[in-house]
Amino acid sequence: MTVLSPIAFDMLDQAKWAFSTRRVERQDAVSLLDMLTHATSGDLVLGRVERIGSHKKIQLAKGRASELYVGDLVVLACGDRYAPDQFEGLAELDPEGADMLAGGGVLGRMRHRHAKMSAPTRIIPLGMLANAAGKAINLADYALNKAARPDGLKVIGIVGASMNSGKTTAVAGFAHGLSRAGHRVAAIKATGTGAFGDFNAFVDTGARYVADFTDAGMVSTYRQPLVRIESGLDTLLAHAKRDGCDVAVVELADGVFQKETADLLRNPRVRDGFAGVVFAAPDALAAAGGCAALRAMGVEPAIVTGMVSCSPLGAAEAETATGVSVVTRSTLCDPAQANALLAQMLAKRFDHAVAVSDVGVAA
Amino acid sequence: MRNAISNRPISTPSESVTLLHRPAKGKAALACWLAMPSNVASDAQPLVAVHGIQRGAKQQAELLAPQAAALGRPVIAPLFDKHRWPRYQQVVLGKRADLALLELMTELRLAGIWRTQTFDLSGYSGGAQFSHRFAMLYPQLVRRLTVSSAGWYTFPDAAAFPYGLAARPGRTEDWGPRLAAGMEEFLQRPIQVCVGAEDCVSDPNTRHGPEIDRQQGKDRVTRAERWVAAIRQAAAARGISPQVTMTIMPDCGHDFRDCIQHGGLADLILPPEEVSPDRPRSQHWESALLQPAG
Repeated sequence: MTVLSPIAFDMLDQAKWAFSTRRVERQDAVSLLDMLTHATSGDLVLGRVERIGSHKKIQLAKGRASELYVGDLVVLACGDRYAPDQFEGLAELDPEGADMLAGGGVLGRMRHRHAKMSAPTRIIPLGMLANAAGKAINLADYALNKAARPDGLKVIGIVGASMNSGKTTAVAGFAHGLSRAGHRVAAIKATGTGAFGDFNAFVDTGARYVADFTDAGMVSTYRQPLVRIESGLDTLLAHAKRDGCDVAVVELADGVFQKETADLLRNPRVRDGFAGVVFAAPDALAAAGGCAALRAMGVEPAIVTGMVSCSPLGAAEAETATGVSVVTRSTLCDPAQANALLAQMLAKRFDHAVAVSDVGVAA
Repeated sequence: MRNAISNRPISTPSESVTLLHRPAKGKAALACWLAMPSNVASDAQPLVAVHGIQRGAKQQAELLAPQAAALGRPVIAPLFDKHRWPRYQQVVLGKRADLALLELMTELRLAGIWRTQTFDLSGYSGGAQFSHRFAMLYPQLVRRLTVSSAGWYTFPDAAAFPYGLAARPGRTEDWGPRLAAGMEEFLQRPIQVCVGAEDCVSDPNTRHGPEIDRQQGKDRVTRAERWVAAIRQAAAARGISPQVTMTIMPDCGHDFRDCIQHGGLADLILPPEEVSPDRPRSQHWESALLQPAG
C-alpha cells in the first residue's frame, strides 16, 4: 500500500536540491511517497546522506557546488548513469540505501566503477517527492514544451573518442568563436548525465542559448528510448531557434561506441541533420579509430580536435591517418576561423563548394 | 550645389547630429569617431565607415554626418592609427584588425549605439581594401558593402592571398581558404563598387608589380572593373544572382571629400530611400563612454 506522508515545505526548501532538479517548482512537493522500489528515471527523491564516498560535493540547482556532510538532506533525481571513468548504474532505489551516481544529482544503484573511484556516496532515500495529487514528481513534468525540429538552424555535432577527450572544450570553443563572429549560437548537450560542469562551461562562452537533456525532462539519457532522446534534441533545437539562434553546437556525450550516442549517429534523421560533425580525440590513434568508426556509421568527420591538437606531432599523425584537418581550441575560439570552419562545413553539406581555381581570373 | 548622381541638394550639417570622439579602451583597441543623430530608431542600421591610409576617421564621420542625420542612422568611423595598425587594410596579416573592429562593435553595442544583427560597411581607398576583406571573412555581419576607390583587391580566384583566395606558398593553412569558405554568403550580399572617373592615374600609393598589374590592371578604375567582373563570374559559377553594382563618380579623382561633395558617394553609402519607417521608436543615445568632439 502506498503511504503518503506530508512534509514541511520550509524543511524541504532547506534541503540541498541538486542541479538536475533546477527546473522543478519546489512548492509543488507537498508529500513523500514510500514506493521507492517503483521509482523510475527522473523521479525526485528526498534523501539523507549516510556516508560520504566518491562524491564529496553536490552540484546545487543554483549552480554552485556544496560540501556534503553526513546527515545532509538532499533532493536528487533517480536515474541511470554511464560514465566509463566513474560509475555505471541503474535507476533503481533500495530503501536501505542508494548510490549517488553523479554530483549533478543522480541517485541509483551502482553496477560498475572505474578502478580509480572509491565507493559512491551513500544516500538513505526517505521518500519520493509527490505533488498535491499524490503523484510522484518527475523531471519530465517540468520539461520544455515539446516541439518539432526547426528548419533553418545550422547544427554542428560534436562527438568524441571517450569521456574527457575534449568534446566540451570543443563545444565551448566553437560556440565562443561563432558568437564573437556575430552568430546567435546555441550550445546544447543532447546526451549524458545531468551536471553543471558542461552546462556552465557553455554559459561562459557567451552563447545566446544553453540547454541540456534535463531541459527536455531527462536526468540522464542512458538507457532512455532513442525516440525520447531524439525528441528531446528536437525540442531543444526548436527552443534555440525560437530564441533567435542561427547556429547550434550540439555535444553527444561519451565515445562514439556508447549505445545512445551510436544509435543517434546511425539514425539518418539525426545524422543528416548535422551540417558537420567534429570529432574530439585524445591522441592520433583514437582519432584514426574514431574517424573510421564514424565513417562506418555513415558520418564523415569535418574536423578533428581535442587533446590530440595540443601536440603538433600528434596532430600531424592524426591528419595523415584520417585525412581530416586537426584544429586547436584557439582556432575554434577565433571568430574568423570558426566562421570559416562553419562555412566549410555548410559548403560540404550542401555540396556547393566551388574550388577557387574554377572561378575568377588567376594571376 | 547639387549632387552629381541624384541631382539632390547636398545636405548641410544640421543640429540633429553630433560628432563624437570615443577614445580607445586599451592598447590593442580602436578609437573611433561617431556621427550620432539625436534620435536613432532601435532598428536603425549603423554604418561602419573605414578610412584610407591618411587615417581620416573624423573626416569619414563628418562628411557622412548630414546623411546620417537625415536617415537617423549612426555612423561609426573606427580609427586604425598608423603606429599600431600599419597594415590594417589586409585585415588578418600582421595584427588582427578584424578582431579589433569586432571588439569595438561589441563595446558600442554595450553603449547602446547599435542594436541590429548586422551593419552596413563602407570603406574608402585603404579602408575599401579592409572592408571587402572583412566582409569576405564575416559575410553574415555585413548587410551591404560599399567599396570605394580601393587601390587593389582580393580577387575570388586562385592567386595566393591577399591577391586571391589560395593559401600562400609553403603554408598548409592560410587566410585565403578561410575567406574562400565564406564566398557563398559574401556573393549574396549587395556590393557597391565606386571609383572616381579621374582616379585612373597611378600614384605612389598604389601597389604595383608584374603579377598584380596582370591580375588587376594598373589603375583604380581598371582594378574596380576587373574585380566587379570577377565577383559576377564567381557568383555565376555558384548559381548566385550577384547584387554587385559599379559606379563611376564623374569629375572625381582620389579624394574622399570630392567623392562625397561631387560624386554622390554619400547617397551611395547611405541611400536616402532607406529612412527607417518607425522613427518614433527612437532612443536617445547618451553614454558616459563618449566625448563630444572638441
